Parts: sequence; C-alpha cells; structure tokens
Amino acid sequence: MLTALNNDLKPFEDLITKFSREELKPHVEVRDRYPFGDLDDDVIEAGFRKIYDLGFLGIMLPEKYAGIGQGISAMCMMLGHVAEVDASYSLIIFTSAMSQQVILNADADEIAEKIYPKAKDAKEYLVAFPSFTDPGESKELPTASFSGKDYTLTGKLDYLVLGSFSKWAVIPARVAGRQGYSFFLADLNGKGVTKSDPIFSLGLHACPIIDISLSSVSARIIGEEGKGERYFETASKIMHAAAAAINAGIMRGSLKEAVEYTKEREQGGRPVINWSEVRMLLANMAIKSKAAELCVTQTCKAIDENLKDWGRTSIASTLHVHDLACEVVTDGVQLLGGNGYMKDYGQEKRYRDARQVMALLGLAPLKKLALIKEIAG
Amino acid sequence: MLKRSKVRSYIERFPRFEDESLSLYYAPRMPKAMIRETEEAVALARKFNDEVARPLALELDRKTHENPDYLPAELVKKANEWGFYTMWIPKLFGGKGFNMPSISYFLEEVGSACVGIANVIGVHYLGMAACMMLSNTRIIKKVMSDVVEGEKTGEPCLISYCITEPTAGTDVEEVDLEAKGRLGCHARKVAGGYILNGSKIFISNGHYSTWNVVYAYADLKRGADTKVALMVKRGMKGFSLGTHENKMGQRVCPASVLNFEDCFVPDELVAMDPDIIKSFTKRSPRDVNMQHIDYVFSISRAGVGAFGIGAARGAFEAALKYANETEIDGKPMVTYEWVQCRLAEMYANVRLGRLAYTEANLANQHRGAYNLLQMKPIYYYLRYLPGSYFKKIIAPLLDKPIATWILSKWYIDWQKPKDQHLTTGLASMAKFSCTDFGVRNCQMALELMGKDGLRQDSGAEKIIRDAKLLQIYEGTNQLNRINLFKSIVAPTCPKATFFEE
Repeated sequence: MLTALNNDLKPFEDLITKFSREELKPHVEVRDRYPFGDLDDDVIEAGFRKIYDLGFLGIMLPEKYAGIGQGISAMCMMLGHVAEVDASYSLIIFTSAMSQQVILNADADEIAEKIYPKAKDAKEYLVAFPSFTDPGESKELPTASFSGKDYTLTGKLDYLVLGSFSKWAVIPARVAGRQGYSFFLADLNGKGVTKSDPIFSLGLHACPIIDISLSSVSARIIGEEGKGERYFETASKIMHAAAAAINAGIMRGSLKEAVEYTKEREQGGRPVINWSEVRMLLANMAIKSKAAELCVTQTCKAIDENLKDWGRTSIASTLHVHDLACEVVTDGVQLLGGNGYMKDYGQEKRYRDARQVMALLGLAPLKKLALIKEIAG
Repeated sequence: MLKRSKVRSYIERFPRFEDESLSLYYAPRMPKAMIRETEEAVALARKFNDEVARPLALELDRKTHENPDYLPAELVKKANEWGFYTMWIPKLFGGKGFNMPSISYFLEEVGSACVGIANVIGVHYLGMAACMMLSNTRIIKKVMSDVVEGEKTGEPCLISYCITEPTAGTDVEEVDLEAKGRLGCHARKVAGGYILNGSKIFISNGHYSTWNVVYAYADLKRGADTKVALMVKRGMKGFSLGTHENKMGQRVCPASVLNFEDCFVPDELVAMDPDIIKSFTKRSPRDVNMQHIDYVFSISRAGVGAFGIGAARGAFEAALKYANETEIDGKPMVTYEWVQCRLAEMYANVRLGRLAYTEANLANQHRGAYNLLQMKPIYYYLRYLPGSYFKKIIAPLLDKPIATWILSKWYIDWQKPKDQHLTTGLASMAKFSCTDFGVRNCQMALELMGKDGLRQDSGAEKIIRDAKLLQIYEGTNQLNRINLFKSIVAPTCPKATFFEE
C-alpha cells in the first residue's frame, strides 16, 4: 500500500476512507442508474461539493492555485479508496486532475489562476476533459481559428467527461495550417455549444459523459499552438498511474466482496469458501490484486522520485494492471454466482467499471505499440 | 498391418477413440434431411435477425434500463408469431419437429445479434427438455398441446424450468450437493397430489411462462432421495410471481421469482416422485434424479454453448466492422498485422466453440436424449408422415400409461451409464469452453475499439454484459469443469472422489 512508502499520507488515507464509506457507499446503486435514474445536477453537485470541500480535487494542484501540492502517490491513494467503493467518483477526480495537468504542463498560469482559486462551486472547479481520448489518435477534432485577437472552435468532440456538468472544458483542437493539435479552454455554457444527452456507457455511470458540437465557440489557448501533444503526453504519463490506481481499487473491492460472500453463502452444506476451487479463484484474485497494488506503488515511487524511465514504467504497469483488473472483476462476479450478476450486489458494476477504466487515455493496443517504439526505437 | 481384432483392442482402450472423435463416427450417420432442415433454421434465424432482433436489441436493452420493471412481452409475441416456440417440438406432440441439434445453430445466429433475445426463445426449450425427459407422455402431450395452441391463438405459451432456490444454486444441479444443501421448496404428499411451498429464483422467462417444471422435495433434509417434479401452471391457486431481477445484461429475458404458498398440485401433474420411479425401475431415486439432471443439462448446456458462440460472434462481428471502418494514422485498421491477428483469433474462437457444441450434440444424438428421434427410420417416419396421422393415430396412445412406461424405460432404465457420462461430460465441456470464448472475444473487441466500444449504441458493450451470465447459469463454469472431470476423465483416477473434499 502507498502508506507503507509514505506515512505522512496516513491521516489523509483515513479521511478518504471515511468519506467513501459514509458519503459514497450508501448511494452506489442509485447513482449507478444515471443517466436513467434520478441523479440530477443537484445530487452530483452535492457529491462533488463534499469532495471539493475536503480538498481532494486540488490534491496535485500547487498551493499557489489554492491546491494541496501533493504528488501522484496521494492522488493514487485517494483514487484507489474511492474506486473501491464507487469508481465513478474516481473518474470525476481523474478528469479534473487531467485538465489540471494539461494546464500546468502548458505553464498556463493565467488560466489556472482564473479557474481554481476563484471557483465558487464544483461546476466552476471541475474542468471537463475527454479523458478517454488520446487526441493524437483522434480522427476528428474540432478546428480552431484565430481572429487576430482570440480563438474560436468549430467541430465535434465526442465523449467529453463531465461535459454536461462543468462550466469549463479543456478541448483539443487543430489549428488550421499547423501540425499537431493544441488545447483550448472553452466555456461550455457559452454561445455555440450544443450538448448531447448523457451517453449511456458500459460503466462509471455516475460520472456524466456527453458529445458536444461547437460552432464558432470563443476559446482561450492553453500554452502554445501545436504543443498539445507534448502537454498531453507528459500529463498522461503521470495520469496513467492514476488510472491504474482506480483499477487497483476496483480489484480490492471485488476481492473483499467475494471473500465476504463466499464466507456467508453455503454450498453442499458448508460455506462456499471451504471448497478448494473457490479458494483457488480467490487466491488468484488476491495475487492479481496485490500485484496491482505493487505496480501502482512502485510507479508512484518512480514518478515522485523522478527515476529513470518513469514514464515507461507508468504506462507498462498500468496496462498490466488493467489486464489483471479485467480478470479479477470477472472472477469477482463468478464467485457470487447468480447474485454477482445482479445489481443488488457490487460485483457486476465492478465488472463494467474496470473495463471502462481500461479505455482511459486512449486505445490500449496503440499504447503498447508506442511503448515498444520508445524502448526499441 | 494390424488385424482388425487388434485394431479394435487398441481403439477400445481408454481414452476410447470413438468417444474422443464423435464427428468422425456420427456425422456420416446423420440423416441427410437434417442438414437441409438445419439450413432452414439458420436461414430463419438470419431473417429474424434482420427484421426483428437487430432492430430491437439495443432499443429494448435501453428501455429496460430506463424502466427496470419493463418486460418486453411484445418480443415474446413476435417470436411466437414466427413459430419459434413449436419449431423444435416433435411432430409426435404437434410441433414442427425440427431436429434438436439444429436449435444450437439457430441460437448461435440469434445470439450473435442479441444473446438476451436468443435466451427468450432458447430457454423455453430448456423447459420443454425438462418436461420431456421426465418421460410422462400424457403430461408432455398436454403441455405441448398448450404451446401449439398458443401459437395458433397468438397468446404465447412458454415453459420454464424452475430449480434454483434462494439458498441453493449449484446444489440443485448435482445430487451429491443436493443431499447436503439448504433446500427450501417443500412438496408434502396429500390425498390426490402434493402441497407445494417455497420459492424459486432466477427463473428465466418466469414472467412469460404458462407452464413451469418445478423441483421440490418431500424431505428437505434428504433432497436428493425425495425429489418431486411437478408441473405448475400459471393461475393455479397458491402460485404467484414475485419480482424479476435487475440484471447486468440479457435484460429482455426476465430472471423471475416464483412463490408457492400451499399450492395444490394434483396427481395428474406430478411428473416424477419416488413412487413413480419405483414403478418402472429398481434404480434408486437419487440415481434417476441425477440421470434426469444430466439429460436436461446435456441438452441445455449445448444450447448455452451456442449462446456463448453467439456472443463470441457478435463481438467478432462488431470488432471486424469497426476495424473496417476505422483508420489509424491514415490507414484502415484492418491493414495492420496486430489487428488481423486479433481478428483471426476471435474468428478461430468462434469456429472452435462451434466444434465443441457440435460434439456435444453428436453425443446427444447417438448416445443421449435425441437418440430415439434421430434414428434414421424414426426420423424419416416423423418427418414425412402427415400431422393428421399423429393426431388421430398416435396422440390417443400417448395418454396410456404404457406409453409413459416405455418412454421411461427407454430414457431412464435402458440408458447405459457410460453414455450418460459421455453426453453430460461433453455438454459441460461445450458449455464452459464456448461461454469462456464468448467473454474472451468480448474483451478483445473492447480492447480493439477503446472508448468507441463503451457506448451502448455501439453494441459491443452490451455483448460483454450479456455474455457474463453465460458463465454462470446452467451450472457455473467451475461446476461444469468438475462435471467434465467426473464424467470423462475420472475413469483414470480411481482414487478421485467428488463433492467430498
């Protein structure tokens, strides 16, 4: 566990565990019904407000922007504990952090100051971001035009996380006549923005995702033109570890629920856990879960200590954790039998959520190919 | 090189070559007309997919999420209009008499469009199989007549198989576990019938079905020896439907709760109990109960294998379409070797799985439940004689106790144990292999499609939700592995015991 590396994080860990247990756990099933249930902006706002008030959202943000100034270890610990209970909230925190990282990597001081210290509420603080997209791989990005004074964005952007909730969004777009892409800050309530209904996706339901269309939407550039890929790559190398932490948390939750259930449920006149094949499945889950913890912990250490090749470590270990997670949550459902497939239990949600998390920051096979290109040239 | 007698002695050794290579021996023996019939079933499934299943699959999935109480009964009516609920009922009992193995190919086709819709059709035949393998011809005739009538009137009459209980899932699928499990459905013998009390859960199609094959126990502490099989019709006093589960996938097919409160089931609807067993065999009720379970699951697990391959195909087809339509760095995805290799593997999974369920079907055809219907003379007799002949000449005979006695002897008393083991073992193998292939292909499709596969409107994410249930129902894949070992591998392990560790 991350606290083993850094005891300073212990009080913080207690806080986030308490928050997850008391504030998130009672509502997991109801919130998972979004976008068809009664989770509305007020409910989302209330949940976000608590996370925001506790300071979780600014955990990696420098103090000069009213953040806490912690590193990736604290972020991963928080995401893991939240994901153990409801990974949707981890995606909210992840998306907010991804926007922050792009802004910070671009040294966009003015923008950071405009948003974070002055945000009146969660809507203003949480900046939407297409967290499942590697803009470099995207076949279609909005186009940015420069009028001599300001930029305007036109085009479509799909799968924008928090797009229906947040005031601001960090949007990748191509500037006509320039190589690569750039990032822009746009007001999602501004003129020219059309939002789709919330998208019904595989998992992480309580975090809204939408498609947007932009028509001459006024926007501010983040950093420099054509440098978007650099900002994204730097941010994503760190945030891959955060994605791994979410799936490691989901695995912990899955294992815990499987152990509890198999201790209580009987088969053939004795607790299910006493059958050796069940124990074997649980053991495999535990091994994978522990290995995932180790991957996250060591990756965080490599990043925090700026060890050689930390970026490669981050991506490699994350891809491995995602593979493990998909296996663990599948067995997690299996161990509860028919009950594991029902929404009254948490396992089916984890089965969906882990696969949704796997898709964060772009297509996994392309990441593998990029990694080997970096290693082997 | 070797004398025939020598050859025989070698191939009869364990593992017996014929048992290991059923298609080599049995495919040539198949009546030719079965192939044309199977082609027709597949063609019908493809037409149904074009006109009904594909247009409805995502819409119904969405509707059931918007309103978890919603049950798409109109889908059942559609399937009924298409004649799917009588297609595999033998002509002897008024159905269309398609050969039973053809249902696997049919279900794979429909499953490739929507596993849930395939289940709404296929699980009716689990009910039919359970009813038929109980071998009471009078009851079979009565229930099947209702199904046929339901097709004529447009009011679907479906059959459910009701065994799972709130505290006993896997336990009710193996008599050794049933003997120790926490059973709750009690059948008390009274004058003229049984009084049924208790609940059944996770009953597929429960809310749609008219007839229910219900297992209950005269002595809950000795379930395996006192099992009673009762036919319970919707509307009978003391029988009520509870909720249906809020499932991750296959949402068009309800998993229902059935409640029985002092529900009187008359003798004429008692399909099996220890006294009935005694009337035609000297074997113990426990043995006969296991044999019945094996018969039913040898049929249904091959079917679930077909669902699994349906899911594997659906995932493969979604990934293939995506790879054809998507570019990476300006080149179509399908031009990259890594994409081609993954798609090839997904395709291979589909073909390998199909071989597995085909082997299971061949075992059923020649060594199990279908052996009577698939004997060439009987097959052609049933196929070509007009329906009126069965109605006028054969049907009245089915009400006679002698008909039940003969069928019971044929299916239960005269089946060789080694045939029982082979059919149940191969059905288990097909079930867990095909459903594992299904989930594996879904996973591969999602990895290939990334965020585009996560959207419900892409179709891919629904398949991975649907596919997971296949690894659980009809016996968890773990139970099916144990059953394969117990049935086919164990002869080489004289020290092995089961469900006793």
